[in-house]
Amino acid sequence: MPPAIDWAAVEAAASWRLVVPRTPLSGRVGERLGAGTGSSLEFQDHRPYAPGDDLRHVDWRAYARSDVLSVRLYREEIAPRVDLVIDRSRSMTATAAKHQAYGELVALLASAATSMSADTRLVTGAAVPAVPLHRAADVERFLDCDESSGAVEEPRLRLRRQSMRVAVSDFLFPHDPDLVVGRLARDGASLAIVQLTTRDEAEPEIEGGRRLVDVEGRGELDVTIDARTVAEYRARFSRLRQGLSRAARRAGAAFVHVTAGMPPRQVARALADAGVLEPR
Amino acid sequence: MTFASPLGLLALLAIPAIVAIHLLRRRFPVRPVAGLFLWQAAHEIPDGGRRIDKLPWTLSLLLECLAALALALLIAGAALAPAASSEHLVVLLDDSVSMTAIDSRSGDSRSVRLQADQADQAATPRVRAIARVRDEVSRIGPRGRITIVRSGERPALIVGPAAFSAEAESALAAWTPEARRHSLSAGLRLARELAGESGSLLILSDRRPDGTSERIVPGETWAAVGVALPNVGIVDAHRSVDADTKQGRLSLTVRNYSDAPARRVLRLVRSTAERTNESSSPTELLARNVDVAVGTSSISIPLPAAIPAVRVALSDDALLSDNAAVLVEPRPQVVVVDNRLSDGRGRSALEKALGALAGIVQGSPAHLAFLDAGTAPSPGVWQARFGRPPPPLAREGPSEDLIGPFVLEKRHPLLQGVTLAGVVWTGVVPLDPGGAHPLASGGDRALIASSAQAAGAADPTFLFNVDLERTNLIRSPDWPILISNLVEMRRRELPGPERWNYRVGEWVRVRFDRQPAAPLRLRMGAFTRDLPATRLVEFVAPAPGGLAQVLEGDQVRYEIGINPLDEAEGDLRRASTETIGTFETVRQERALESGPAFDPLFWLLLATCTAAMFGNWWLLSPRRVRA
Repeated sequence: MPPAIDWAAVEAAASWRLVVPRTPLSGRVGERLGAGTGSSLEFQDHRPYAPGDDLRHVDWRAYARSDVLSVRLYREEIAPRVDLVIDRSRSMTATAAKHQAYGELVALLASAATSMSADTRLVTGAAVPAVPLHRAADVERFLDCDESSGAVEEPRLRLRRQSMRVAVSDFLFPHDPDLVVGRLARDGASLAIVQLTTRDEAEPEIEGGRRLVDVEGRGELDVTIDARTVAEYRARFSRLRQGLSRAARRAGAAFVHVTAGMPPRQVARALADAGVLEPR
Repeated sequence: MTFASPLGLLALLAIPAIVAIHLLRRRFPVRPVAGLFLWQAAHEIPDGGRRIDKLPWTLSLLLECLAALALALLIAGAALAPAASSEHLVVLLDDSVSMTAIDSRSGDSRSVRLQADQADQAATPRVRAIARVRDEVSRIGPRGRITIVRSGERPALIVGPAAFSAEAESALAAWTPEARRHSLSAGLRLARELAGESGSLLILSDRRPDGTSERIVPGETWAAVGVALPNVGIVDAHRSVDADTKQGRLSLTVRNYSDAPARRVLRLVRSTAERTNESSSPTELLARNVDVAVGTSSISIPLPAAIPAVRVALSDDALLSDNAAVLVEPRPQVVVVDNRLSDGRGRSALEKALGALAGIVQGSPAHLAFLDAGTAPSPGVWQARFGRPPPPLAREGPSEDLIGPFVLEKRHPLLQGVTLAGVVWTGVVPLDPGGAHPLASGGDRALIASSAQAAGAADPTFLFNVDLERTNLIRSPDWPILISNLVEMRRRELPGPERWNYRVGEWVRVRFDRQPAAPLRLRMGAFTRDLPATRLVEFVAPAPGGLAQVLEGDQVRYEIGINPLDEAEGDLRRASTETIGTFETVRQERALESGPAFDPLFWLLLATCTAAMFGNWWLLSPRRVRA
């Protein structure tokens, strides 16, 4: 069952858009300058005329000056590609609060992507075709997290070249951060890693004896959650987050850690601080 | 604190087992997590093997240990010693009707009647016995157990076995002694069995034990709560009708159990079922004073014919139950016989024999027909056939004359009193052994046989394989006996009651002329009982007696009189007030039999156990998972 998204709060925070990287992009004809020549008004270069060239692009003034037919080349204008990689594993629904925060975070990112007329696709797994996303509200159909593993864990995820990539997961699975981040960043124009956890997952407290049950069915563990255990857990979680952050830096990606329970506006500001979003 | 089953304390071993389980395999509240790998390092087993962790004193462990402790104490029957012990009192109540004898100081009938109308306040042995039982109930307290046995030929429990003492009150209020004189020995045996090793036995009667079968043993108490009283009672009553004059007669045998003559008022009234209920005033036929001499005397009262039932009563005295009798007019069962034997010695001899019998008429259609063996059968009639039977019942062969010895089936009612001594049984032909059941035989030949098949009808047929013209049977004493037996057998099969007036406890037999079409009931005043819906109904005449009606559906088929008429029970001079023997009170611990309701510790343990188990379940329930 998808979470109950507070769309009013999401819309209120939707005055943001994804930050477009300065590196050349690929994409369909659109509003952004592309890497190649095109039909925009921005002059790029001259080259000698060749049969078949559009006579409207012949620079007649240059011909008057040099008797050489040359044509004017203009930068192409494109719509950027955005691949929104979301984790649909059951761990995102470990608690109701986390599930709701996950829904609102994905909705916020979808809203930011669709508001800049980007060619946005929702990537949920290697075996599942990416789904074009035209409206932010369309994400609701993909928020019923019932998979045993998330898309970010899959080695052969089909991402488009030169696309802007945003990956949302809790990253609470055994992994090599450099490998995961490198896989997501390969051939991409940009990458933003957004880690979503609950406060308990980040900073557990002393609870006494508990039987920990992996919601993805990866076993059970009887643990007495005492001060020592809490300290050890926090240290390991901190190392996991730092590893992701370091790997992101090495890959030129942005890394943001979001805690469930934060209002969407605060989440958007955190994303903006990390360079994932910018004001429209 | 005491333990009814100390072995139950072995259940305490569950506590170390629970601790071990918690130590080795802890059962914690479930908490779902997104990933285990960050927790698992804390659970790593060192190379040296599993180390012994410190026992986590969790709430779950404490609750489980508490539940196990409470359960072990419950199983062990833990109880507070003073509250858990109880006494078992077994009371044998004399159910004879003399327990209702009223001790009227003035002795006049009005005073007696006044007390009889208030049975629970009357000065009777019953009331004194109930008071004594109440005293004992108070003594043993609410935790005590009581068993009350009602004496009789078939003693019965009216409270218990081992019921709570509070249950005795309603049974005592409903107890009405109405049995005839009987020995308490059967009740004593039952009471002793019920008392066993731990119970106390109290016998309540209006007299002392007879010293033979009613002896008590040490530890038992016989409380006689009677008072010796003079009494006059009807000990026998008959009603007859003269067959010739049709004049009725009532014969009473009255006994004066005192040392002085007594004067009583004798009243004779019509008795009907409605009047038995006293819903209307009876029609008085006679009222007169009678002087009853000491000992036994007889009273004879002529009665007009055609009064179905009358109630004869003496004025009230100490024992009311023997002051009255209900007598139904007897209607003799007349057997219609038909002598169709051919003329000769046999027919004449039969005429003589029949002439000597009462309660028969000759005519047709008959209940019983005497025929030559070769005559065609008559349907619906009992038949006695004489002579050589026709084939195939008779086989080929010469007839013989036999002088004995004869073998008789003595148990058959036809042959009761028959000897055939000196009889020459002539003209005996061989019979087909499969065709008739021999009742009397000589050698290998049947002399008298019974068969329904022989006559081809369903009615009983008796075949006398004899030549009446030559035998000396008709001159022997056995001839009128045989004919009388035959007539009486037929009489017993006629519809109606076997007799019309019975004593309480006698077997009553009522035969119907057909299968009852509706349920049969016995009604006697307010007493009603279902009867088996068969052609022959048998039941024991119920106490306290009166005019009883046998109903088929709502239709009254027969009325019969039932009366106590107990000569021994009317003698109240043997009654006494004394106590023989003393209680050997055994206060054994009967924690389990006392029931949990009286043991506060039981409820405390039960509540603790339940609360602990419920709390633990709630603690470990998935609903406790943190949101």
